[in-house]
Amino acid sequence: MPDIIDIAVSTEGFSTLVTAVKAANLVETLKGPGPFTVFAPTDAAFAKLPPATITTLVQNIPQLTRILCYHVVPGRLKKADLANYQSVGSVEGSPIDVFIEGDVFEVNNATVIQADIEADNGIIHVIDTVILMRPHWFWPLLASADPQIRQRGSVSAR
Amino acid sequence: MTTTLVAPKLPPSTHPFAEIVHRLEAGGSMLPDTPENLMQIIGIYKAYAVPMDFYWRDLLYIAEQVFVDPLPIFKYIIPEEYLKLANHYAGENADLRIWRGPATAHPELLEFMEKGELKRKLPRILHHLWHDRINMEFAEECMRAMLWHRDMGGLLDPYMDSEEYKQNADRAIRAYCQGNPLLMGLYKLFPDMFLELCRQATMYSVLGLFWEVMAPVFFEMSDLYDEGKITSVPEAMNFLVNAIFSIAGRPIYHRVRIRGEWYDIVPKSKGFTWLYEAAFPYVEAVFYRTSPFRGTKSYNAQANQVPVNQLDFHYGILYADKFPVASAGIPPTLLHQDMYHFLPPYLVEYYRKHCRGEDDMLIQLGISFQRSMYNVTSAVIQAGRAAFLYPLDDPNPRHLMMNRRYFEGQLNRFTRPEYGIREAARLSYIQDQNYR
Repeated sequence: MPDIIDIAVSTEGFSTLVTAVKAANLVETLKGPGPFTVFAPTDAAFAKLPPATITTLVQNIPQLTRILCYHVVPGRLKKADLANYQSVGSVEGSPIDVFIEGDVFEVNNATVIQADIEADNGIIHVIDTVILMRPHWFWPLLASADPQIRQRGSVSAR
Repeated sequence: MTTTLVAPKLPPSTHPFAEIVHRLEAGGSMLPDTPENLMQIIGIYKAYAVPMDFYWRDLLYIAEQVFVDPLPIFKYIIPEEYLKLANHYAGENADLRIWRGPATAHPELLEFMEKGELKRKLPRILHHLWHDRINMEFAEECMRAMLWHRDMGGLLDPYMDSEEYKQNADRAIRAYCQGNPLLMGLYKLFPDMFLELCRQATMYSVLGLFWEVMAPVFFEMSDLYDEGKITSVPEAMNFLVNAIFSIAGRPIYHRVRIRGEWYDIVPKSKGFTWLYEAAFPYVEAVFYRTSPFRGTKSYNAQANQVPVNQLDFHYGILYADKFPVASAGIPPTLLHQDMYHFLPPYLVEYYRKHCRGEDDMLIQLGISFQRSMYNVTSAVIQAGRAAFLYPLDDPNPRHLMMNRRYFEGQLNRFTRPEYGIREAARLSYIQDQNYR
């Protein structure tokens, strides 16, 4: 079975991600045994960021690496596994919020547009937005506006 | 004429500041969009950027060369090399050119450093002793606020307590003390004090790197306004949002130069970034929290006049009573004094027409500064919304509700009844043009 990198390279729409992973010297790691769960932003997801943001990150590899590591979770986590969690710990160290309700599958502010792509050394979930670390004050701030926000992501459109 | 009514996706907000919630949801700022507000905030950004061009340079000088000097008498006498230091975001060779101007110190700053308010060329030490100079005390007060108020997010804060940091600091401190038996003896007697001085030097670096970006951002905004290319408060805010995003990934680090050799205290390779390790903590520490000002008002801690938790400190610019206390802390009269030297003519004209004209210009410009910082805070809030939440025109009502809770949560910081926070907040004041 192909590994995570093989799949990303051979699938259309991930050229930015592949370039970034190469620049950050993460190819070897993601070709390793893992296993990893990767939230893979599409080219369209990267295109939502201002070009200057990308320029700054490409100029600064450790910082780029950190953002990319935020998209990786240790272990093999399919959608059904993730449904048991409100958040999962990324390789970067900060948590990624998970919201799964029926067909809706979101991580932070990104929507998973294709889930459970199996690789030899992990699982890939394709996302439509590059996710960024939510600081620790994020949920308490939202909860101050709506005391019913006890669970991450559980805001209803009342 | 027929009108198509589009049903709003969400019912109106019931927040005490519902009008401002709706304005933020429409892509606006906490500061109302009026030409008068725009003129005030842009003029102040320009007046702020000139001394800021000094602050960031001197902050880096202190972080990199003064370092843990226990008696840093000459720390404000910045060496020429730091005035010539190329800003990474201005000039021809910029990493990312935000300001079209030069990378070295601003011409107005150099002129002021040479002649001062006296308009006479004197040795710099005389200007300094006469207090005719840029007030670094304000910059240091901001630095100290960031040092005191810890746990504001980011990875730098826990890193400063790590073994790795302590080892890096020890190596640099030993090199710094080398050849000076008195200093080395002091270090052996009080290692923790030197470590704390090193942490403070790290914070000097963090703030210097933070402001190195903001100075060219403000200069460019001023130039764009003069050319008629920024015409509204939301445009000014969005320029800031774009700038924040553009340099979000800028490395935050601390290195020290000792006898020509660089020592890493916080290496760039840690991956610390401008947004997480500098900008968010800065806004939290300086705009919201800081510390009660001293001298003109007494606080009774036993009577709960000062919060038990630092988390509840509310002495930042967003809550400041613009009373001239002549201090570096909030309200930063020393900063007002610095900005006073570099006001654009249209703002001087404007202040002459209001209140007591030139007599209370420091207060008037202080209130313009408060307005301008509410706009910067709005930019940070909108940048946070864009980074962690959803587009303002997202079609999903649940996403829009998340955005609303985020905006309401932010505004709750100005409505809390504890410790008189609600009364201190100036958000309602700045809605009125007559607050000056």
